[in-house]
Amino acid sequence: MTKLQAKNIVKHFDHNGNSVTALDGIDLNVEEGDFVCIVGPSGCGKSTFLNIVAGLETPDSGEILLNGKPISTPGPDRTMVFQEGALFPWLKVIDNIEFGLKIAGIPQGERREISQRYLDMMQLTKFADSYTYQLSTGMKQRVAIARALAMDPEILLMDEPFAALDSQTRDLLLVELQLIWERTKKTIIFVTHNISESVILGNKVEIFKNRPSKIKKEVIIDYRRPRLAEDENLQKYYHQILDELKSEVIAQSKDEIQ
Amino acid sequence: MTKDIQLKKSHRNFDDAANAALLIAVFTGIWQIVFMLGIWPTISLPSPFMVAETFAKIIWNGSLSQSIGITIGRLLGAFAISITLGTLIGFAMVKFKGFGKTLNSFSAGLLSFPSIAWVPFSILLIGFNEFGIMFVVIMSSIFSIMISTYSSIRNIPSIYLDAAKNIGAKGFSLFRYVTIPAATPSLIIGLRQAWSFAWHAIIGAEILMSIVGLGHILSVGREFLDMSQVIASMVTIFVIGLLVDRFLLHKMEDRIRRKWGLDYHR
Repeated sequence: MTKLQAKNIVKHFDHNGNSVTALDGIDLNVEEGDFVCIVGPSGCGKSTFLNIVAGLETPDSGEILLNGKPISTPGPDRTMVFQEGALFPWLKVIDNIEFGLKIAGIPQGERREISQRYLDMMQLTKFADSYTYQLSTGMKQRVAIARALAMDPEILLMDEPFAALDSQTRDLLLVELQLIWERTKKTIIFVTHNISESVILGNKVEIFKNRPSKIKKEVIIDYRRPRLAEDENLQKYYHQILDELKSEVIAQSKDEIQ
Repeated sequence: MTKDIQLKKSHRNFDDAANAALLIAVFTGIWQIVFMLGIWPTISLPSPFMVAETFAKIIWNGSLSQSIGITIGRLLGAFAISITLGTLIGFAMVKFKGFGKTLNSFSAGLLSFPSIAWVPFSILLIGFNEFGIMFVVIMSSIFSIMISTYSSIRNIPSIYLDAAKNIGAKGFSLFRYVTIPAATPSLIIGLRQAWSFAWHAIIGAEILMSIVGLGHILSVGREFLDMSQVIASMVTIFVIGLLVDRFLLHKMEDRIRRKWGLDYHR
């Protein structure tokens, strides 16, 4: 069943008075339970696309359908994990996780039950009463994931959530995220510039072209899980994607020099 | 470990108190020496002991506590109005962008406008009464509140608002649960500034416009050539200003900053 459908999404930006086309007709179908990774050169508009799916930005044309219904505003059915975590520093870890549930008017007892479940899942139980400044970057991202999952979204959006992590923490979270995906059966769209991440996580990898952006190619990765970063068998997917991306990165650096 | 920190903290408090006592002792000592040198006549510069006597007198006859009560009462009333109106106007400035931008420039100009310069205006507009004094205090502090509300909200990192909208906050819930807490550390700084403006204004206005209050006993001291009373009033004004700023507003700011982890990276 198709969970999310992007139809011919176009987005222009104003750059020093000139209109720049960031997205030039993105078409994408995400099936229920898919783990879709989007890779592309930096500045290609992949985060913009994710923001449009989240409803935080509006496209100039085209539409996003969730379960067949068009969406235009942000909503807890599409929760996002931001690159910087974007946790609220004035709230404890547990209150950060329960924030959306509180807004939704869910009674406290039920909130505690839900937050407890995700605290356990993300191994944060000991840190429930900590403030976010007391946590490491990796811990913060765990909280951000727990906060997003607590809303039980239709689809989970992740915008380079592991970009700021050290490699050990990242490898650990890459495995955990696969386990969470298998356990919760969530549909996930994961944006990254890191090819290895996309190969480890995705069952589909969408390669974005340089600006004006389109989807250049889709690579299906049908391989057992949990996949580990050091798995040699993933190399062929890695190189396949790298070959596609190389020309885009070169094209982009030419753009920047001009 | 907590005990360690507590010990350290009480140790630091003790050090602070000792330093303050030392500073006061040195200052009083110098004062006493200058007094004994006889450069000024006693009527212009009384000794610390004479001022202490005046203190005892005005405490004993109740005029000090009465003056403090009246001044603080006026100030709290005016400051409450100032905060309420200033905050509401600040919100409106955020909501209506063109209005906000214009008013922000005007307020910045009025921020540096001397509070005492409102007095003649207030006397002619409202008169020699409580409301006239409160008007001066309000006009002296409200612009600071307006500007701080406006800029605190506008400077909230958009990532907090995006994250909150993303998990379902909008309209009033966004305002109540994200905008307000996100702006709080910066709002407190504005509040401290407004408080100091208000404190300047009330004393100035009372010197010129009042027949009771701290500013009034200060000016009575001058009229009766009673320098001891002038100094005693000044010391009282200083101590109250210090207590409110250090032990109320500063403590509040500290608590919020600590909770937010703003003082963490030292």
